[in-house]
Amino acid sequence: MQLLSGDARRAVFAPLDDGALRSEAVVRRVGSAIGLGLLGDGEQLPTEAHLATMLNVSTVTLREALAELRKLGLVETRRGRGGGSFVRSRDDVLAELADARLEELGTADLRELGDVHGAVAAAAARLAASRASRTEIARLRDIVDRLASAETVTGQRRTDGRYYIELAACAQSVRLTMQEMDLHLELSQLPWPPAHAPGLLDVIVAGHRAVVDAIEDRDAARARTLAESHVETRTLWAIELRLQRLEAATASGGEQRAVS
Amino acid sequence: MSPGRGDEVARVGAAVSTVVEQVFATVARVRDAALRSLEREGTPSAALLPAGTRELLHEPGQLAVGLGLVVAPRPEAGLPLRLEWWQVDPGDGSSRALEPDLRPTSLGYYDYTAAEWFDVPRRTGRRHVVGPHVDVHGTGRYLLTLTEPVGAGRRFAGVAGADVPVRRFETHLLRTLGPLPAPFVLVNDEQRVVLSTAPRCLVGSLLPPDAGAPGEGARIPGVPWRLLLVHGGRLPVG
Repeated sequence: MQLLSGDARRAVFAPLDDGALRSEAVVRRVGSAIGLGLLGDGEQLPTEAHLATMLNVSTVTLREALAELRKLGLVETRRGRGGGSFVRSRDDVLAELADARLEELGTADLRELGDVHGAVAAAAARLAASRASRTEIARLRDIVDRLASAETVTGQRRTDGRYYIELAACAQSVRLTMQEMDLHLELSQLPWPPAHAPGLLDVIVAGHRAVVDAIEDRDAARARTLAESHVETRTLWAIELRLQRLEAATASGGEQRAVS
Repeated sequence: MSPGRGDEVARVGAAVSTVVEQVFATVARVRDAALRSLEREGTPSAALLPAGTRELLHEPGQLAVGLGLVVAPRPEAGLPLRLEWWQVDPGDGSSRALEPDLRPTSLGYYDYTAAEWFDVPRRTGRRHVVGPHVDVHGTGRYLLTLTEPVGAGRRFAGVAGADVPVRRFETHLLRTLGPLPAPFVLVNDEQRVVLSTAPRCLVGSLLPPDAGAPGEGARIPGVPWRLLLVHGGRLPVG
């Protein structure tokens, strides 16, 4: 088995530490890795035994997860020589998984995830303002430009993740960078805001541009505040979407009760 | 500058050079192995480095935790991005092949042709040191990356290089130096601190703009670094 390098890919197969519903956690992890392109279409997964060891789950749990992934159409298993489990990238299935995940999470979970992401991104932006070289700032700008022109939802999401990871690298911090990678494996399990309201992409792009401008001006306090409030805005979008769904579900549930 | 300070600059500069040359000696062995294969085979389609190359990582006193060859892609000949790179696993100390993510559509895409450690030797035909940098899409470590071109001009075949963790470089250099001299700062050509014995100048930070003109300080031959002495907590004095 190869050693997956590049921390993003390593994080995909890092041991799971959320105790309950572990097979679902495996499904989510693999789903988000496909969404971020860390697992490519047609790529072969490690063997069952190896995968179970890497993720620190039992082979029974892993088989349950693989069965679910097959049912969803995200993994295809071929028998015989050259056989194994192969990844299938399907944007429609990933979008459904994201909706299901949003439904599962409470507003407090979303707020917590946003709190940590805000803390990491704000710290990275503050440090980057005094540590990023001109080359690195140019690279950040280039990534934001690519985000603005990315045409697919998947492409937008990946480029957005890349922006945050490069921002943390500009802070010269391995630990902040690893935190960002872990966070994006979680964040990418949720719906991408512009998928529901395309206009939000402009808000995201403008938010990132403002942070990069502050970094270029070497204004650490402004970079920090802008990054923090931008992540806060996005957390609110996720919570609003969650509440809208809840309202819709309650409304239709109420009708059903009225009928029955 | 008093003669005493000049002596200190010379002593620290010599120690830095010694450590750097030690790593470049390893890089040169990787380069030579690659050149021998190139002369033999012509087209780099199969592996260029003999399997034994990775043993360099396990030599006593080796500072590098990663080394190898990064091949210049040649799309017209159907030759894609390719690395022959080994790294020491931080866990069990064994060496393994690095297999980074070379898919352009991935969040983890490692576009090494745009990386400074690849691009500078390609453009200039000369060796280069990058860092300290967070090697996001490669090894995930905090590194100095030392590279030199294999072949030159039209025959540029890629770069040979080695990764040295920032911590290992610092520990080794300070040990080599023995008694610490006056506080000093080593900066690279981006004004970034490579190593510092002045607590207010942190590794990885950029020198403040008021710290004097770039180009001040003593050059370290063969690397894009300068050495500055710190006077009473203030930078810089060459």
